[in-house]
Amino acid sequence: MPDSTRREAEDRVRDSEEGSVSLPDLGDSIDAVTFEQILEMDDEEDDREFSRSIVFGFFEQAEQTFKKMDDALKEKDLAQLSSLGHFLKGSSATLGLTKVKDSCEKIQHYGQMKDEEGTADEPDEAKCLERIKATLVAVKEEYAEVEKVLKKFYGS
Amino acid sequence: MRSIDEAFEVFTPVPTVLLDATFHIIQVSASFLALNHLKSGECLGVNIYDLVKSRALVPDPAALQVVLEKAISTKNVYTTSSDQAADRFATSLRAMPIFEQDALLYVLLEVQEASARHERRNAINDQLDTNDTYRVLVDTVKDYAIFMLDTRGNVRTWNAGAQLLKGYKPDEIIGKHFSIFYGEDDITNEKPRRELEICLRDGKVEDESWRYKKDGSKFWANVTITCVVRQGVHIGFSKVTRDLTERKAAESRVVAAYEESAKLKSAFLANTSHEIRTPLHGMLSALTLLMDTSLTPEQRELGSIIEESGSVLLQVINDILDYSKLSSGAFSISTDISVSVPSLITSVVRSIQPALKPGVELGTSLDLNLPTTALGDPLRYRQVVQNLVANAVKFTESGSIDIHASLAEEDATSFTIRTEVIDTGIGIKNVAIGSLFAPFTQFDASATKRYKGTGLGLSICKSLAELMGGAISFHPNPKEQGSVFWFTAKLGKFYTANEVDRLSTKLDAQVLSPVPDSLALVRELAPGKRILLAEDNFINQKVMLMMLKGLGFAKVDTVVDGAEAVDRARRNPLFYDIILMDISMPVLDGLGATTQIRELGVDTPIVAMTANAMKEDVASYLAHGMNDYVPKPVDRKVLLKAFLRWLS
Repeated sequence: MPDSTRREAEDRVRDSEEGSVSLPDLGDSIDAVTFEQILEMDDEEDDREFSRSIVFGFFEQAEQTFKKMDDALKEKDLAQLSSLGHFLKGSSATLGLTKVKDSCEKIQHYGQMKDEEGTADEPDEAKCLERIKATLVAVKEEYAEVEKVLKKFYGS
Repeated sequence: MRSIDEAFEVFTPVPTVLLDATFHIIQVSASFLALNHLKSGECLGVNIYDLVKSRALVPDPAALQVVLEKAISTKNVYTTSSDQAADRFATSLRAMPIFEQDALLYVLLEVQEASARHERRNAINDQLDTNDTYRVLVDTVKDYAIFMLDTRGNVRTWNAGAQLLKGYKPDEIIGKHFSIFYGEDDITNEKPRRELEICLRDGKVEDESWRYKKDGSKFWANVTITCVVRQGVHIGFSKVTRDLTERKAAESRVVAAYEESAKLKSAFLANTSHEIRTPLHGMLSALTLLMDTSLTPEQRELGSIIEESGSVLLQVINDILDYSKLSSGAFSISTDISVSVPSLITSVVRSIQPALKPGVELGTSLDLNLPTTALGDPLRYRQVVQNLVANAVKFTESGSIDIHASLAEEDATSFTIRTEVIDTGIGIKNVAIGSLFAPFTQFDASATKRYKGTGLGLSICKSLAELMGGAISFHPNPKEQGSVFWFTAKLGKFYTANEVDRLSTKLDAQVLSPVPDSLALVRELAPGKRILLAEDNFINQKVMLMMLKGLGFAKVDTVVDGAEAVDRARRNPLFYDIILMDISMPVLDGLGATTQIRELGVDTPIVAMTANAMKEDVASYLAHGMNDYVPKPVDRKVLLKAFLRWLS
């Protein structure tokens, strides 16, 4: 879809809801339509109490999950890594944190001893762990990036 | 200088006696005496027949008589062949009569020991000597190692090919055992010995494996060993060895190239589908938002064209993925999930209703003897039904579409179920019938413009029906214009009264018309409705609660795992109007919870919430007793539609 059309669609969302919100540029790490859905749930735009609690709750959850992933990686516990990947995939998807979500999905698949897409089997356990290790580094960077953007957005 | 008599006696190498015309022995060789453990005094002047009889010598008197009579009557040398000699030594006799005119003067009688090993070696050499043509042929072949082994497996002959291939010169190898060509493992496993045993039993043995050259390098060999029998006696083995190293290397290059390309294809398909699906989902969801705004009729029509084309495109991508999985054999079919054909058909009817053209009726008829539950692969079964019905809907402008399911066959362990889809659509021309189920065909090239699709649907259905132990076919509608597609599938039996009760569902053909302002409708419905939300991730839980609150739902209970959800449903079966169920949860997942809730007899609508929005996953949720699904991240518009379907 051409950019202009997408923007119109997004504009329409904003215009159609009471009190249009002005969003800063969140970059391509965050899906604007999904994140906007969260912002619409705020009673007042000024304090954004609800969305702030969700976003900061997510920060806490993500950091805890990364720590558990590090531990599981040390233990070489693929099943646990997959389950943690799935867990964080759910909440990052809800917030529209596309890159983090995609990486979590990869970890989920690698943990199931599949390829990146979850379509083909990868019988080599060591290879799966190696891929998870690399993806975990990437997802932490992706997370740090959105964390910075979102913290700036919430002015803290 | 010894006398002739003395020389004859001492030095004749072959055991020999010289007889006079009356067959009395006048000369005997030392070798004959040694052979028969006799002294010359016991022989000289004695009739040969008497000697043979009295000392039980070999060969027996009968053979002796034959050889002497033949030699005398033909006046020529005569030899009994070794197979005529019945004794275990396989001894033969050679008689040379000496005549003067017609008067017999002497007979020279020799005893030949065919059983002695050196004789057999000679036999092999004789054979090759006597057949120069073959010897020249064998010797000049350079691509094959052709050589002979004696009965013990020692190398006897060696051709040019053998020398080139294995690197040994004839004088280095002749007399050596052929196990020298084998690797250590083969020798430890006594492979050379076993090969000769098999060869003796079957006459021939063929093997393909590694062999070793003189310099220690190995090559991939095709080896044929044949048992060589001459005049009834096993004299050795012939061995032909070909070097297939190049061919094997070429084969493995081809296999590697094939595997690589299959892998690339699979990766390409997965990547492409992902790359196409992501923007397509974005486009379709933006379009949904657009369609909910106030549009002019013209804009709405254009929008619905985009919507339709978009969903066709999505279907195409899913079909291509399925097809590539089916054609690579990576597709697996379950045989142990409960299948309720009536409820599957109901669910297909429900999902297809909105696509019906005005003036087309969609009806179902189910035979009374149709089992309510069986074991099989509900999602594949549903996929075939869905595809056939969707085709009928696509090609039927007016009239009716009927889905008919019946029990075709039944035995102790399985049902064969036949499902027919009968339409009054445009039908199929005879010419197209043959290629109907071939991939990438549409029955009429001109139809492609009007009826979109990959042409993969029926091909996928055919593969699926066959994987389910059934078949698929087509015939024209016998009553009027149109088509009849039917397929059969074999489903397993199971006998739990509980399950049967749980799964027997009534058919309802509820018609849902598209609603322009779903938000307003849901807000009207919401007050008073009770929702159970099962979601373990508290971020998602909070967002869902807020979203539900925004839609006007005030009574929402939350649980964090499947077991708690089952517990709520058990304590108060009629309390909730709808259950929103996450799939992946601790303790008990959404599928397990749904199964248990259905087993309790609770038929509250259950909507799956999942980030695994693959078509096959979704079908499996429905097969577990869920009614609908909403992909994650939850889009409010999609959620609204689900509420409208299940709460109104």
